[in-house]
Amino acid sequence: MPQQEKLQQKAKEILLEKKADVVIGYGKVETGNIGAVFITDPERTGELVWNNLCTTNLSVYLKRKEIKKLGKPCIIVKGCDAKALAVLEIENQIDRSAMTVIGVECFGVQDRCEPQYKCASCNVQLPPHCDFVIERDTKQSAPQGSRYEKLEMLDNMDSKERFEYWKQELSRCIKCYACRQNCPMCYCDVCVVDKNRPIRIDTSATLKGNFAWNILRAFHLAGRCVGCGACSAACPAGIDLDLLNLTLAKASEENFGYIAGVQRNVEPLVGTFSPDDKEEFIR
Amino acid sequence: MSQIISRKTIEQLIGKLQSEGGHAAAPVAAGKRYFFRPLQKAEQLVLDGKIMPVNSVKEFFFPPHEVICRYQYEGKELQITDAEPFEKEQIIFGARPCDAASLPILDKIFAWDYQDRFYQQRRENTTVVTLACQQPDNSCFCTSVGLSPDTTSGADAELLELGNDLYEVRCYTEKGKKLFEGLTEESVKTGKTAAPPEIRFDMERVSKYLSEHFDDSIYSTTSLRCVGCGACTYICPTCHCFDIVDEGGAAKGCRVKNWDTCQFAMFTLHASGHNPRGEQAVRQRNRVQHKFAIYPSKFGAVLCTGCGNCTRECSASLGIRPVLELIDKKAES
Ligand code: SF4
Ligand code: SF4
Ligand code: SF4
Ligand code: SF4
Ligand code: SF4
Repeated sequence: MPQQEKLQQKAKEILLEKKADVVIGYGKVETGNIGAVFITDPERTGELVWNNLCTTNLSVYLKRKEIKKLGKPCIIVKGCDAKALAVLEIENQIDRSAMTVIGVECFGVQDRCEPQYKCASCNVQLPPHCDFVIERDTKQSAPQGSRYEKLEMLDNMDSKERFEYWKQELSRCIKCYACRQNCPMCYCDVCVVDKNRPIRIDTSATLKGNFAWNILRAFHLAGRCVGCGACSAACPAGIDLDLLNLTLAKASEENFGYIAGVQRNVEPLVGTFSPDDKEEFIR
Repeated sequence: MSQIISRKTIEQLIGKLQSEGGHAAAPVAAGKRYFFRPLQKAEQLVLDGKIMPVNSVKEFFFPPHEVICRYQYEGKELQITDAEPFEKEQIIFGARPCDAASLPILDKIFAWDYQDRFYQQRRENTTVVTLACQQPDNSCFCTSVGLSPDTTSGADAELLELGNDLYEVRCYTEKGKKLFEGLTEESVKTGKTAAPPEIRFDMERVSKYLSEHFDDSIYSTTSLRCVGCGACTYICPTCHCFDIVDEGGAAKGCRVKNWDTCQFAMFTLHASGHNPRGEQAVRQRNRVQHKFAIYPSKFGAVLCTGCGNCTRECSASLGIRPVLELIDKKAES
């Protein structure tokens, strides 16, 4: 049976058994493209779509109060999205016992007609940490790319060139916060940039304000970003935010052996104290 | 007889403008997409009627951030200095007709109850050269809001591709004529514009329905997949909301005007903590109402050119068009 059909059946079953009130999945939306759909009627699970255009990370909807109101969720995730769920669980943002997770086996998705960067080094074709996994009948071999390949471009620059690069890139940020809104890990009720009594981060889209915002966000994602690429894909200024996130992901992997979202039962990297920490000041 | 110009002559025109301290802006390639940006070199210019830049040229008139004035205390004396006026000459090349069409719409806003000299100065100093639209995509709906690919509204001049780096030039205003004076040659060739995209909804019906139904149950469904970012409004040629903020310390700083959007949860948050638009559904309603009922009731036209930017770039594949189509269906029944 085609994978999409199996997925539709499973979703129907879950709604009929009242394990969930709403299925957060992909469907064909009015624009003719693939977008998020929220299905509450078991008879409408046939609208669920699964193909290589199912690029967005649906776990972002778990934080939205409008979606929480729909009741107990059943969410459809790819391997990369499932990592986001693991981090959300570690950080006590979701209660896995009150939700159902359907993983779909995935061999890569596309962003604007090209394979997404993350897919070239993906090692979670079969999504981890799921309640159900919908496999594909035909398999493909796992990609062999390196996760940090993209960083070579930055590594080949000296610090001055790198600073120039970021000045160019970040000067274009228009502070639309699409990166934050599309990030499953940016779930704060009031983001620090929205604090205005007093204002802590310049709201201006100036070089100073943009550095403050983008660097701050990158730091807040250190050891938490799962590299889903949702922020980069959404940025209307075309800033390659992957580069910031990957830099910090690489640092957490190299220094602490920590890759966000891989394990479900660990302490958050930034929230852990270890007497073995190599920094002196912490002791 | 038509007037034609070569790409080389356009490049020279840009070179001259830049050497005199002026700015030229045009679509610039970055990664897989195009963005309107100031040109560093004339050779960067891309004139291709098939491309859809992500952003709007509105940012050259109404930038995301602008200093209004600076303040400083000298002892107990407060000194306030006006921001430097914008005196540079600007030329925008390759604006899409639907993007340029937003300018007369914005003019009304920035000269309504308040004369916004920041916007107005930039408007005076800027010449807008559009490029004939060659390929509407499935986000476009200019024809649904009374425009079409051959709209000339807001354009000082228009270029139409003839192939071989040649363009037909059509001048619509004095500014446009002045820009191309002496640079064109007569020819028998004429350029073409794309066939108009299909009409997606009945604008009159939508506007009428919206003015009679301020609220509607439809938004609680149509807004579900919206993540509440500002992308759609920031790349929208007609959105024009801004916030005035003071930046700096008590002794010295500046007052600035920054883009703002009704899609943010902060937009109408009161100091008390109450927010009359506390949910995405009512924020979406705000955007739709503003564009298709409120602005029309004041200025007699809709606040949308059907450029499709908001739908094309929305990470949730939403923007405004799907909502309008669904409202139209509801109004029809
Ligand atoms: S920072 Fe970007 S890549 Fe990382 S989890 Fe958030 S949206 Fe995904
Ligand atoms: S999505 Fe891009 S433009 Fe928008 S705030 Fe984030 S970095 Fe800036
Ligand atoms: S419609 Fe799309 S672009 Fe606009 S706020 Fe919602 S998610 Fe962002
Ligand atoms: S609302 Fe959308 S289609 Fe209308 S002018 Fe703005 S970006 Fe273009
Ligand atoms: S739609 Fe919203 S952001 Fe756009 S101009 Fe109206 S109120 Fe402002």
